[in-house]
Parts: sequence; structure tokens; C-alpha cells
Amino acid sequence: MKTARGAGVHIFGVRHLSPAGAYHVADFLDKAQPTAVLIEGPSDATAEIAHLTNVSTKPPVAMLAFTEELPVRTALWPFAAYSPEYQAMLWARKHGAYCAFIDLPSSSVIGLEDIRGSAAASPAGLREDENPDLPALAKATGQAAEGTVVERSGADEGNETTASSLYERIAKISGEPDFDTYWERNFEHNLSPDAYRQTILAYSERMRELTEESEQTSRRGEYAYNAIREAYMCRQIADAIAAGHSPDRIVVVCGAYHASALGDLANAMSDEEMKLLPSRKTKLTLMPYSYLKLSSLTGYGAGNVAPYYFEMMWEHMRRGTLQELPHRYLASVAADLRAAGTHRSTAEVIEAVRFAESLAALHDGLAPTLTDLRDAAKTLLGRGELSVVAESLAKAEVGTAIGSLAEGVSQTPIQEDMNRQLKRLKLEKYKTAVAADLSLDLRENRRVSSKEAAFLDLNRSFWFHRLSLLGIHFVKAKARGEEQAAWAEHWIVQWSPEVEIEVVESNLLGETVETAAAFVLQQRLESCSTIKEASELITAAYECGMIHQMEAGRSALQKLAVQSQNVAEIAEAARKLSQLVRFGGVRRIDTAPLVPLLQQLFLRACLYFYEASQCNDEAAKPMAAAMNEMNHIASEHSGEVDDELWVRELARLSDRDDANPLLSGLACAMLLERGELSAEQCAAEVSRRLSPGIPAELGAGWFEGLALRNRYALLSRMSLWQQLDEYISTLEDEEFKRALVFLRRAFSAFSPKEKTMVAELLGELWGVEPEQAAEIVMDDLKEEEARMLDEINDFDFEDF
Amino acid sequence: MSNVSTMQDIMRKPAELLYQDELQALIREDQGKIPAGWQMSPQSVLKFIVGGTAGKQVITPKYIGNPRIVEMAIATMVTDRALLLIGEPGTAKSWLSENLAAAIYGNSGLVVQGTAGTTEEQVRYSWNYAMLLAQGPTPEALVKSPIMRAMEEGGIARFEEISRCASEVQDALISILSEKTISIPELGKELNARKGFSVIATANTRDRGVNEMSTALKRRFNMIVLPAPADLETEMEIVKKRVSEIAASYDLQTAVPADEALLKVVTIFRELRSGMTLDKKEKVKSPAGVISTAEAISLLTNSMALAASFGSGDITDEDLAAGLQGAIVKDDDKDRLVWKEYLDNVMKKRGASWRGLYAACKEMNS
Repeated sequence: MKTARGAGVHIFGVRHLSPAGAYHVADFLDKAQPTAVLIEGPSDATAEIAHLTNVSTKPPVAMLAFTEELPVRTALWPFAAYSPEYQAMLWARKHGAYCAFIDLPSSSVIGLEDIRGSAAASPAGLREDENPDLPALAKATGQAAEGTVVERSGADEGNETTASSLYERIAKISGEPDFDTYWERNFEHNLSPDAYRQTILAYSERMRELTEESEQTSRRGEYAYNAIREAYMCRQIADAIAAGHSPDRIVVVCGAYHASALGDLANAMSDEEMKLLPSRKTKLTLMPYSYLKLSSLTGYGAGNVAPYYFEMMWEHMRRGTLQELPHRYLASVAADLRAAGTHRSTAEVIEAVRFAESLAALHDGLAPTLTDLRDAAKTLLGRGELSVVAESLAKAEVGTAIGSLAEGVSQTPIQEDMNRQLKRLKLEKYKTAVAADLSLDLRENRRVSSKEAAFLDLNRSFWFHRLSLLGIHFVKAKARGEEQAAWAEHWIVQWSPEVEIEVVESNLLGETVETAAAFVLQQRLESCSTIKEASELITAAYECGMIHQMEAGRSALQKLAVQSQNVAEIAEAARKLSQLVRFGGVRRIDTAPLVPLLQQLFLRACLYFYEASQCNDEAAKPMAAAMNEMNHIASEHSGEVDDELWVRELARLSDRDDANPLLSGLACAMLLERGELSAEQCAAEVSRRLSPGIPAELGAGWFEGLALRNRYALLSRMSLWQQLDEYISTLEDEEFKRALVFLRRAFSAFSPKEKTMVAELLGELWGVEPEQAAEIVMDDLKEEEARMLDEINDFDFEDF
Repeated sequence: MSNVSTMQDIMRKPAELLYQDELQALIREDQGKIPAGWQMSPQSVLKFIVGGTAGKQVITPKYIGNPRIVEMAIATMVTDRALLLIGEPGTAKSWLSENLAAAIYGNSGLVVQGTAGTTEEQVRYSWNYAMLLAQGPTPEALVKSPIMRAMEEGGIARFEEISRCASEVQDALISILSEKTISIPELGKELNARKGFSVIATANTRDRGVNEMSTALKRRFNMIVLPAPADLETEMEIVKKRVSEIAASYDLQTAVPADEALLKVVTIFRELRSGMTLDKKEKVKSPAGVISTAEAISLLTNSMALAASFGSGDITDEDLAAGLQGAIVKDDDKDRLVWKEYLDNVMKKRGASWRGLYAACKEMNS
């Protein structure tokens, strides 16, 4: 067993999230029986180790550091069951050894990051970690590929491209399709004692030889950062020795890159230097994590693309059945395919395992790698097509595991905000697993004195809408009834463990519910591509009480509207805006800025309106709805929108014969309703539309449109019915049957009372007494009549 | 091995003769474990296909593209499964199958060509009817199919265009592939395949649905989809290599086309195939016919033949234009419009170096 230089401390370099690393660390600790286990990680988080190793902690979990003041910075350290660091912590707890994190405290990590001005600290808070100078490495020599191993891809976006080219080269020289496969083949499958540690130690030395020189010149910030961290870690190791731990009973678990640097404690940081470390006040917390998140983290090296696969690997390693991993993986893919209805036989799974093994043998591998298994699944179970197995592969590789922590351990800023808001909005009693109904009255409560109290329900509503936007299922809106007042809202409130996780996860979007919701809205706005989406987002921003995003939504919608000619879509968006403009006061939001946009949308819809009306019956339905919206807007906002233009367009549509007859009829009805059409004009129009020789589709279709609105106005016009009656009597038998279809549809929306009135009107025309007519209508069908109706039922409706 | 090896003037040499030196060098230098019935280790087969060196002998790459596909094909053969290569026309299915058979077994000549007229006898066995009538069913009167011979010798049979055969013919393969035997009831015998026997079949994606393969048969194959060349450089490399090989074997007295001509042809083909320009800025209509890499190769050799026989010996823009016209405008008037649109919308704007070709194509297409 090789001990580190200098102090004789055992250094164990690992790749984070490496099952073999976890296996070997545990094995090594058993042999070395240390009294102190020192782990690379923020030293101010040492207290969290107790929580991490708590029996009720179930990985994946992550450690999160965040600053409380703006700008908020975060850093994240995720752990899976197969993280070597995590296994080292568990070992220490079990054996009563002292266990501590020895890297720079998170306050200094973030402090230094600010100084470096690096782009690495994205909002997603990737783990800031060793960052070998890759451009230099790539330049240095191809030797890197022969015996050395690179720990992980760079976390820094800046050098991603050069980094990947180096890894590609290593993979290519060793004949592997990618670096991950190279790593898995050469490191994850080898369980012979000490192999892992020795190779990584050698790698670390080699890697530093390659990088250090050019790093000093070309990437000094990076070099300095690593030097500071290592000096700090050395100091921590020295402190552990000073505290009485015998050097050869100390094991340091660190990233492979640092393995060779931590042996020499001569560079340990002095007290004065420690005082000079920049620092920003940070808070630390643990949070449950998910495999899905872990697999989607980019830049955090390998081993995380397939967390569930690696967990399976780790389990099989512990049971000493690593050779069964391919069977398990492929069988689970086949089982999933079967569950989804695609049958694959056991024989095919057997062949797939053999196939994967012979692929591995081509590379002199000990066992198939994930790539081999994937190719086997694709070839055998997918019959050559990846799309068949893609979903099952994702299940077998990523999995759905979500970690959990003991109650109260996790304290992210957003959770604090959540608790603060629950208190402010007097909702604490609803934080139970029992679902409760909550009705909100958004109006000012005049019986209370403080402003806060007066608008309590309104503020609750804003907050509930924000939670819904974030996908936090603490509250659920009840469906709105038609007649419901604009100032009333009904919610179902219920707390559950999932809600807790959803809250914690939202922390990555923002530190408070408000900022997170703003972030989500902003993101959606940036990616929204339809008018409908944009108008929904404006509504969402309005409901959440976020003025700023409403304005952003307004400009997004404006841009989209310029390109659209879809009248139905524009009218729908205009309706939403109109609602906001009219009821904006309820939420005490000034919706006046929306008016110009409403005008613009309305104008646009008017301009394209006539063109869009020349459509078939199928397209006429949404158009009719759009017309109703437009008409409604025109009357509600008559001072604001160009009402005259609307009337002109309606008149044009009503007059023309080449548009859809239903829409023409509807336009006529609207004009009639608005008093724009005199009785004589109406009579003339009716007689023109229903003159003999007009095909049933056009005549009856027009009537259907006319009957869509203000029926009482129609029912009061005797002349209209007379004209309709005359028109129908001119129709041929076949035409009559066709007309029936339209008339039937037109009258289907009439209430029974209205229908009776129609019958009475017609009876009057035909000289039948009203009472008699009513009797006939109410009477049961006679045999003769029933037969005739049956005949009509036999009518060929194919054309419709 | 096959008796054609003595002939020097055959039109197209099979892979095992064309690359005789390379195969011998690989066998000589082989250090890997050789599976039963194989003539070299899987690693050497891989090297033969994707290129490398064996001792002093340079092994030219036979399949240019993702080596992982070749690895998967070889792994299939190791597990004595049958291999089915699927792909668009001209994605080197047959070429790969021939070279695999040549490397593994040393004979790529046991071929069943699948057509609508292929019968079950061509998959199993038939009889020499004169002898059958004279002597009755005897082993001498038996005419073995290539597949049966491969079983007997523990070799590799190739089945080209399997999806063109009627389904009952395809089904005849099922028992052969699962039981690895052919029974000959007339002789009261059964032929058991020797170790090393396998089948490499090819199928065309454009033929899909003509005679859909049964699930039972599909289960007996490992299916590997061969993609069209991934990028311009790969495709140019393929075309260049094959064109010079073919030119050498036909003894064409023309210089192999310059890289520039290659670049133009491959660019045009890729753009028409993918339906957009290489910079992805402009959409292009695709012609109805197939415009594969193999077509590009034959177009260029065609142009070389034209130049050698009727021209100066150097390929001119006119030679290329004639070839392009023939390859792109196959039978359809629509293709002519597509080609015209491409010429005017894309090629015309490409600048001075394309002007000559543009003018020649324009004239040819008018």
C-alpha cells in the first residue's frame, strides 16, 4: 500500500459518482481503519455530515450553499448512494471515526468565484470543482491517453469544446466511441484490490505534469484557485494531525486531480493567509434530489448520465454479482417493453446479453459497458431501431428515484419564504395533509383597518397563482362556473411530502416564490411562439400580480400578433385582453397599458376578417365564435376600439354572397341587433337570401347564421317567417330534405318555448289557431308522420 | 475456396481476391482468439473493415463511417446469430456483407440473390433432374443452394435483398436459422450446419412493405441499420476511394477526378438528398429517385469513362453535367424541374468556381 508523500496520510483519489470508487473507498477504509476520514467538500458543511448519514436519509440528496443577499449565488454538491464521498461518510459513522469536509468553506468558494468573475456559477448552481486546464492538456501531448485518466469533463463552459476534444482523443486512441465508455471499461469494472486508487494516483501526477506549466501562464485564475484550495485542504489535514490523529490513520477522499497534491503538507495555508480568504455570507442546507436532475446536470462530469444504471451497478458490486448487471439491465428493458405492449421474448434477452458480451470482448473488456448494453438493446430488443427502446432505456438508466431527508433537515431559502408567506397570509392552519376548501373574496374588506388585512384574500390569490405556476401542488384551483363573479375564487388547499420536494426543487429557479415564478414566466415568455400562449401568459402574469412580466408578455404578444393572420386566434387573444382590461380593477392592477394592444388586435382581426370568412362550414364554427368575441369586444369597448370599422366589415360580410352563408347570416343578425339594419333592409335581405332557386345549403345555411342571435327579434317579425315559409315551399323534394338539415340545426339551439312560438307563428301563417298548433306540436307522432321521419333518417348525409 | 481464383481477367474481383494481401497479412499477424470456423480473430476482422496495419501491410479501410456499426456486425457474427443489414440504397450494405464474409470465412461467393422470382429451392436445395430420373434421389443428384453449402462447410452465406422475396421463401430460412439443419427427406438424411455457419442478409429500406418480413424471421436476425454517410468529408472519402479502385480495375485511362469535382458532386448529392443546403440556410426540393453515395460513385466513374473514350482524358464540366443529369433526372418530368430549381436557386449563386458546371448543367437540362 503506497502512502502519500510527506506526512504519510492515505490519499484516495476518486471520480465523483463512481460505483467502483465507492466500492474501493469502502474496501480501503476497512483495511486502513482510520481514525479520521477527511473528504473534499465545503468545510463549513461538516455539521451536515450527521444529517447526510442519518438513517432516514435516502440519497440522492444534495448540499446547497446560497447567499442571502443579492445577487444570489448558489453552489450545489449532489450525492448518490454510489458516491465515494457518501460511502466514506457512512463508513466513518459506522466505525465512529472523525469525519469532516476539508475543502474551502462555501462562503469562500462563492467569494472566490465572484472575484474570478467566472461564468461557472450559473443559476443552476453547478458544483464548482477541479478544472484541469484542458486546452493546455490537449496541446501538451497525446500521451495523456496512454496511461493516464482524466477525471471529468470541465465544469467551466468556456473550455468545454477544447475539453471535449481532448476526451474525444483519449476515447478514439483507445478505440472507444466516447470517453464515458472508455472510463467505464477501464475503471468501473475492475474490482481487484487497490487497482482504482493506484491508477488514479498515477493519473493525478501525470495530469498535473501536463497541465501545470501552461496553466500558470495561460489560465492563471484557474491555477491560483486550485492552489488555494489545495493549500487549504493541506492545512485541514495538518490540523487533523495536530488534533492527535496519527497520519497513517487518516484517509483523505478527494477528486482525482488533487490526489497527488495533498500528500505534501509543506504548502499548507497559514493563519494569516486564511484570514485573507474572500468570503460572502452563505447559508447551507441539504435538499432531496432526484435522478432526473442528476442526469440532466451538464458539465458535472460523467457517471451521472445514467444514475439508475450506476446504482444497479453499485448494488451488484456490493453483492459480488457485478457480472449479472447486463442481465438485469436488458431484462428490465425487455420487461418494460412488454408492459408497454411490445412483446420481446426471453430468448431475445439472452441473445442481447451474448451480443453485449461479444461487443465488450472486441475491446478486451471485462464486461459490457453501458454503450454496449444500449447497442444490444437497440439491435436485439429494438430490432435495429432506437426509437422502439428509447423510452425503456431511459427508465433503466435514469430511473425516477427521489431522495428524502429527515423532517426539518432541509432549509432552503424558498422554504423559509414559503413559511414566511404562510404566516403572512394566515394560512398556517392549512399546512396539513387534510384537503380544505378555501373561498377567496378579492374585494377590499372594509371592516378591517390595515391595508394588509383588507386585501388579505387578494394577496392569497396572487400567491396561490404563483404556486400553481411553479407546479407546487399545495393549492388547486376549482373550476370556475360561468356565472361566478370575477371577485370570487375557490381553491382546494392540501399539504403533502411531494409539495415539500416541489418547493425545494423550485429553489433552483429562485430564492422566493415570487422570484421563482417571475423566472418561470420569463422563460416561458421567451420560448412562446403562438398568440394563444402569449395571451395566456399575460393572464397568468396578471393573476400572479406580476406587473413586470405582464408588460413583457404584452410586448411578446404584440410581436407575435404582427405575424399572424389567424382571425380566430387573434379574437381569442383579444377576448382575454378585454377581460383583463374590464376586470383589472378587481386585482388592483392597472390594465390600461393593455388597451393599445387590444386596439391593435381588434384592428388586425377586422382587417383579415372578411378574407377569413370565405371558408367552408367546418372552419366557419371557430369563425362564428370569433365573431361573437369581436362583437362583444366592440360593444364593451366601443370608445376604445374601432367600432365603426367593425360595423362596416359586418355590413360587407352581410351583403356579399361569396362568403360563408352561415357567417353572412350571423353578420346580418348582429347588424340587426345593433339597429344598423332597418326593418325594410332586413326584409329585402331576407327575400334576397331566400329567393326561389337559391340552393338549400346557401339559403338555409344563411338562416342558420341569422338564427344564432337575438331570437326574440326574429320571432317578432312575422314577415321573416312568411318569407322563409315561401322559400321552403319552392324547394324540390331533394332540396327540401337538404334544407331540413340546416333548419334542424338552426332550431336545435332554440328553447322549447321558442320552438312553440315558431310553431304558432307558422300556424298563424297557415291559418291554424294558436291553441290548435300547440296541440299538434305537443301531440304524439302519428304513424304516417313517423314513417316520413324515418324516410328522412335514411337520407344520405354524406355531403355534410 | 472458390475455383475462380485462377482467373486473372474477371470483371469484378470478389473482396477475398481484391484484398488478398491484406487478408494474408492479417492472418499471419493475428494474435487474438479465433472463433471456431473463422479464419481470423474478431479484432482482425474489425481491422480489415475499418483499416489499420498488420505488420508492415497497410490495411485500407473498407467501410468508412461509424466503426461502432462494424463492431456490432462482428459481434453478431461472434454470437453465431444471423445478421441483417438494413439501409437506404447505396449505403454499402452489400459491400459490408461481402467484406465481412471475405474476412471471416475467406469466401464471399455463397450468395442468394433475392428477387420476386426466388424460390424455396434456391434457399434449400434442388435436384439435377436428369440424374434424379436416371438414378433416383442420390447425394450426387442433389443440387445444393449456397446456404446449404455454407452449412456444410461452416461458412457464411449471403442473402441479398431478402425483403424482395416472397414470404414463403423468407420463411424457409426460419428453420435453417433456428435449428441450423436442413432435412432432406428424399435421402432420409439431415444436414447439420458446422460451426462457423451464419447468414448475412441485406434489405432495402425503400422496399419495406413490399414483402414485410415475418416477426418469426426478424427474431432470428440481429438488425443493424446502416446510415447514410454522416458528413461531407466522410462521403467524399468514400467516393474517392471507391472511384480510384474501380478506375484501377477497369483500367480507365483517365486521371481520378480532382478533389474539386468530387466536392461538387458530393455537395450536390448531399443537398438534394437532405432537402437543404449544407449551410442549412436554404430549403431544396429532393428528386423522387434515390441519390445515394453509390450513385455518386458510378456517376464519377461514368464521367471518367466518357472523358477517356470521347474526350481529352480529363474530366470536364460537360462530362460531369451529363452524369449529373442522368443520375438526378431519372424518369420523371418533375425531377427535371427539381434539378432546374436547384441549379438556379442554389448552384448559380455559388460563385466563380461553380460557374462552368452550372452552365454545362443548365444546357444539358434545357
